Amino acid sequence: MTIAPFRKSYAGATALDFPGAPLPAGQTCAVIGANGSGKSTLAKVTAGVTACGQPQVLSPPVSVGYLPQHSYPFQMTVRANLMLNAPRRNDPARQRADMLLERLEIAHLSEQKAHHLSGGETARMVLARLLMRRYDLLILDEPTAAMDIRSTALTEQLVADYQAETGCGVLWITHSLKQAVRIADTVLFLCRGRLAEAGPAERLLTAPQTSELRQFLDFYGV
Amino acid sequence: MTTALEQAIQLVLSGDDQLVNIISVTLQMSIPSSVISLLLGVPLGVLLAFCSFRGKEVLVILNRTLMGLPPVVCGLLCYMLFSGVGPFRHFRLMYTIPLMVIAQVILITPIVIGNMESFAQRITPAVRETAHGLGLGRGRIFLLLISETRYQVFSTYLLGFARSIAEVGAVSMVGGAIAYKTNVMTTAIMNYTNRGDFTLGVALGIILLAMSLVLNLTVSLIQGRLSR
Repeated sequence: MTIAPFRKSYAGATALDFPGAPLPAGQTCAVIGANGSGKSTLAKVTAGVTACGQPQVLSPPVSVGYLPQHSYPFQMTVRANLMLNAPRRNDPARQRADMLLERLEIAHLSEQKAHHLSGGETARMVLARLLMRRYDLLILDEPTAAMDIRSTALTEQLVADYQAETGCGVLWITHSLKQAVRIADTVLFLCRGRLAEAGPAERLLTAPQTSELRQFLDFYGV
Repeated sequence: MTTALEQAIQLVLSGDDQLVNIISVTLQMSIPSSVISLLLGVPLGVLLAFCSFRGKEVLVILNRTLMGLPPVVCGLLCYMLFSGVGPFRHFRLMYTIPLMVIAQVILITPIVIGNMESFAQRITPAVRETAHGLGLGRGRIFLLLISETRYQVFSTYLLGFARSIAEVGAVSMVGGAIAYKTNVMTTAIMNYTNRGDFTLGVALGIILLAMSLVLNLTVSLIQGRLSR
């Protein structure tokens, strides 16, 4: 699948002028860039949450699971939050919920109200809720921003296993360059609302072609 | 003042017939009117926050204007509609509790809508984005939003009930404050004070405050238990 070229503006100012990019099934594409570079706009427009003037930016149209930066924990138990996204309320769905909670080490919180969880626990719960269903494309907007190292590792492994199980593509927005190298097959580098550079993760981070990316990497001490 | 207070307490404890009737009429008016306003106002308020359409701002401003509708204007409107020369005279509702309820619903519903709309407006973007990201349909997202506002419904009900129980202007115009028929606590306090009979007025004032306190405590307890 591919993301078609699009331009998204807010109040007349261009937030992102995107030339399009391929998103191969079964591969992970990390999106990096400074604050305000257009990463979340790319995620929202691709997920169809924000309109950009064209009916469909994904070709062919596929089912998309999108985890926003501040995903909302519904005021019900953790388990009920997961079951909300279950295709059917049957035993396999309940077993899947148990498995996901177990994998993210929050099974002991399953009967707690979701709005009483800590930031890191909420981040794990909302990811588990998303993974209850099978999607062709996962769009994750900084899913590990509120997590510690262990939870981050659990999350990365769980998403990799989900990808292996479903064959879905993953568009993963991150501020961590180390994470981008760990998880991604390709990296998109956004700078001031445009795609400055794209390519294999290793190549981009070791041999940047553009001055913008070199400055960005220098700033992060890479 | 002290004597009036002592007599009032004695009156409350004795279960005076007139006092009991006034309380009964007040509850017959306040409970249905606040519940009907809640049933109308909660979905309308959430719908107003949820939907985007041309003219939405105009509707929000109109509702905010109605939130400040003077009770006497509402009373006048109901009087013109239901009195002997009004288009709805055949319903024969003048000086009855049902018309007092109608007047109260007209006054309280905009308050419920406004309160729910402003709360739902704050959480709608996050709920919508999250639910959309999960692939849920519009109908399901709306139901989720209603569910997410459920704790707010309690405090909104309190607001509506408080407005209903404390209202004088509209209910005295359409109810006429007829003893043993449409005389509610507020109109009774006004009448007794005008006649210089402070005892019953003070007694009613004490009961009004006590009822408000009991209701507030009950709602706070329920709210606390549910959010745990």
